[in-house]
Amino acid sequence: MKSALLALLLLLTPAFAVQPDEVLKDPTLEARARNIGKELRCLICQNQSIDDSDAPLARDLRLVVRRRLVLGDSDAAVKQYIVARYGTYVLLKPPFEPATYILWFGPLLLLGAGGIAVLAWYRRRPLETSPLTDDERARLQSLEEGDT
Amino acid sequence: MIAELGLYALILALLVAAVQSTVPLIGAARGEASWMNLAPAAAGAQFALVALSFAALIWLHVTSDFSVLNVVLHSHTDKPLLYKITGVWGNHEGSMLLWTLILALYGLAVALFGKGLPPSLRARVLSVQGMITFGFLLFILMTSNPFARIDPAPVNGNGLNPLLQDPGLAFHPPFLYLGYVGFSMAFSFAIAALIEGKVDAAWARWVRPWTLVAWCALTLGIAMGSWWSYYTLGWGGWWAWDPVENASLMPWLAGTALLHSAIVVEKRDTLKGWTVFLAILAFSLSLLGTFLVRSGVLTSVHAFANDPARGRFILVLLGIVTGGSLVLFAARAGSLKASGIFSPISRESSLVFNNLFLSCAAGTVLLGTLAPLIADALHLGKLSVGAPWFNLVVPLLLAPMLLLMPIGPLLAWKRGDLREALRRARFAGVVAIVTILATLAITHAAAILPALGLGLSAWLLFGSLTEWTRRIGLFKKPLAEAFHSARHLPRSVHGMTLAHIGVAIVLIGITGSLAWQSESLLVMRPGDSATIAGTTLRFISVDENARGPNYSATRALFLAEKGGRTVAVMRPERRLYDNPPEPKANVAIHTNLVSDLYVVLGEADAQGGYVVHLFHNPLVPWIFFGALVMVFGGLVSLSDRRYRIDAPRQAARLPTPAEPRAVTVSLRYALPAVAFLALIGVFFWRLNQTGEGDTPNLVPSVLIGKPAPSFDRPPLYPGKPGFKTSDLKGHVTLVNFFASWCVPCRVEHPMLGLVAKSGITVVGIAYKDKPEAAQSLLAELGNPYARVVTDAGGRTGIDFGVYGVPESYLIDKNGIIRFKATGPLTEDMLKTSILPLSEKLK
Repeated sequence: MKSALLALLLLLTPAFAVQPDEVLKDPTLEARARNIGKELRCLICQNQSIDDSDAPLARDLRLVVRRRLVLGDSDAAVKQYIVARYGTYVLLKPPFEPATYILWFGPLLLLGAGGIAVLAWYRRRPLETSPLTDDERARLQSLEEGDT
Repeated sequence: MIAELGLYALILALLVAAVQSTVPLIGAARGEASWMNLAPAAAGAQFALVALSFAALIWLHVTSDFSVLNVVLHSHTDKPLLYKITGVWGNHEGSMLLWTLILALYGLAVALFGKGLPPSLRARVLSVQGMITFGFLLFILMTSNPFARIDPAPVNGNGLNPLLQDPGLAFHPPFLYLGYVGFSMAFSFAIAALIEGKVDAAWARWVRPWTLVAWCALTLGIAMGSWWSYYTLGWGGWWAWDPVENASLMPWLAGTALLHSAIVVEKRDTLKGWTVFLAILAFSLSLLGTFLVRSGVLTSVHAFANDPARGRFILVLLGIVTGGSLVLFAARAGSLKASGIFSPISRESSLVFNNLFLSCAAGTVLLGTLAPLIADALHLGKLSVGAPWFNLVVPLLLAPMLLLMPIGPLLAWKRGDLREALRRARFAGVVAIVTILATLAITHAAAILPALGLGLSAWLLFGSLTEWTRRIGLFKKPLAEAFHSARHLPRSVHGMTLAHIGVAIVLIGITGSLAWQSESLLVMRPGDSATIAGTTLRFISVDENARGPNYSATRALFLAEKGGRTVAVMRPERRLYDNPPEPKANVAIHTNLVSDLYVVLGEADAQGGYVVHLFHNPLVPWIFFGALVMVFGGLVSLSDRRYRIDAPRQAARLPTPAEPRAVTVSLRYALPAVAFLALIGVFFWRLNQTGEGDTPNLVPSVLIGKPAPSFDRPPLYPGKPGFKTSDLKGHVTLVNFFASWCVPCRVEHPMLGLVAKSGITVVGIAYKDKPEAAQSLLAELGNPYARVVTDAGGRTGIDFGVYGVPESYLIDKNGIIRFKATGPLTEDMLKTSILPLSEKLK
């Protein structure tokens, strides 16, 4: 199984995922199908969306997406249809739920922590300068010659 | 003979590295000049030996010596000479050797250009370089020997993956590695500085050019990789947030931050600890990238050496290099005394702001790349992070920085005047607003995000030019005088302006490609025409029997016409390589420098038609052009006389106060070391898992504990009963999805008989299979099923969440799914899960 999956993984053929016979006649529906397809993970290829993958399963899922759209499902309902069968793992954009808080709050936390560190750093150091020593004055001069 | 020569050279190089990494270091601690002077000689010998080894490998590939395993696996006599050479680094072993060669090259550069360095600093820098080289040489010799022989030698080799037989990929890895490995210089300087307890302007003047060299190479490498993916993969895109791409983006972001913070160290003698930290970070992220790509820890379409043993080695290497340096950082960073002081509104502060956002962006990419792994390790379930998440989060983080980018250079050092800076930038602001309004007007307010993107680009472009025009007095002074000023302006100012303009151009390209790409997918026959974005493509003819040096091809001829005039002749191809027999689409691209017309030829259908995928990619060329402008800016900056790599000679003689060599561990500085060691722990855990046969690919079913989906399948054998949901009632059932085309299904077949014997009703569903094929499989192996039905379209499979056969579901008397086996059933699985569970359910 493992080697079979790896073999599949390495089978990176020129991406030619969506075939003409899949394309819906209604261009608005087709555009919606493409956008949904870009957000669903191809489970066999892991790092490709079903829209990018030529795996047979990806094709089947594309067809399901289109059938649901033709039946009148909303975009969210189509995604929910797939999620109900394959789990949230198929969503390339993780849903907002406790298990994914780290993903959605992580960047904010990083920025917040960085921002606080910078502020603390500013507060720790005096803003007023002490007079220059001779050494510093000489050095400043040499730096100013090559100011950018 | 040549192979052994290459191998012996590598072993000798390992010995030299051992000497280089110890003797000069001890010499520097003791003040022994002769010990320290060993370093440059060792670096020279190191380079000569690794270069000899690399040359040997090239020789073996060029002469097609099939007694060497590496050549057998990755080469073929019919391959064109160029790809025989570039195939050397188109595989794991060869690319690691290239990596080490570049490392040795940088070591040589320190030895050659480092005469102006204080002797102890040079000795320590070369020692640290020696340690890294030692680690990589050991890695090659122990896990990835490119010179391994094979006996008996086959007549010919397997050939190279067609996707790699491409000029773009021939030169992409060397530049990428020049970038990755280039950050080892800043790293070695950082470690040496931590050992010496001294970071000053002279140090920063040394670090900056090397970081610039690495940055330019990495920028070019990433751009080439992106370009390659754009024109070879035939998908019309240029970035997919694949882990491998992320692996190159992270060091780039950290390196860009380092480039900017080193300016503050140099000019203002502060931000020292932070800059040293960034230097460690940039190189560590390069190593992490190597680790992620080559270990199999993350599944990636790129991973060409998925091997846990190698992964473990690189992990230990990463642990020592990064963990060791972060511990050193924790111990010594507190003793790096800063003297520069600046106000919150100043050039320095703008660079701090830049660093904050760049490092947060690097951290975010790291988070997105590693989160699935960490979630797994902590049993939080499968986490999926894909392109849509990155596309949302990363731009949000970078936008504030881009917004402030033109303001920074308008602020004075130490204490700036924000109001004055904004006043000077008002022209750029007006242009940006006009751009936004004009875009909205043209698109009838439909394109809000693209309008903002173009507005931001205009702001960047004109804002970056503001300071430059002021400094040379353009529009104020006569042109000749302005030209004269421009010539006397430090080159680094031109370089910065160019690089920032490059960013603006890249942003225009990204915006255009995301907002206005159009595509059309259709079946065309010779004689047909199709129109995309105002251009008509006429399919003239097709040659199904074209030949290349090592492939056969179907070559189509298209004419692109606009207003009745032919603008381009386009020849997309579909190739089938001889060895290995793999297909490759050769995209035809016609560019007018503003937009690309992009034609991909697909498979033929039975009626003589061809699947044709047409793209109109507006502004995509600007992405690559912008990257080139950035690189050019970096090179111009590099040519500044103050940053020529031998320039700091004078600076090095500046008197520097002796620093106390104190060890002051504070929580602040220890935090990175603690976080990193935790991360390494997670990785190790994960790698051991991978080693035990648990693939990172298994996706748990969401249907456990839920009623089986409703289905009603027809029988495989006509006349026999079918099977539907209501038939599940009252029996414990194992529903097994199988197919005749599935090899593991044959492996698990005996297990199904055992399950049936234990009193479980076994139902087979022939998944996406022809009835005759499934029937003949069962005729051959025996039919263990109480009932067999077909699911030729795979609909029921999708309802069950099947993603690969075989898969089996244990369903209780009430029709609730209790257990799922992904992959073949095993004896172990029967004993520990299925049989005990079914007893309970009965």
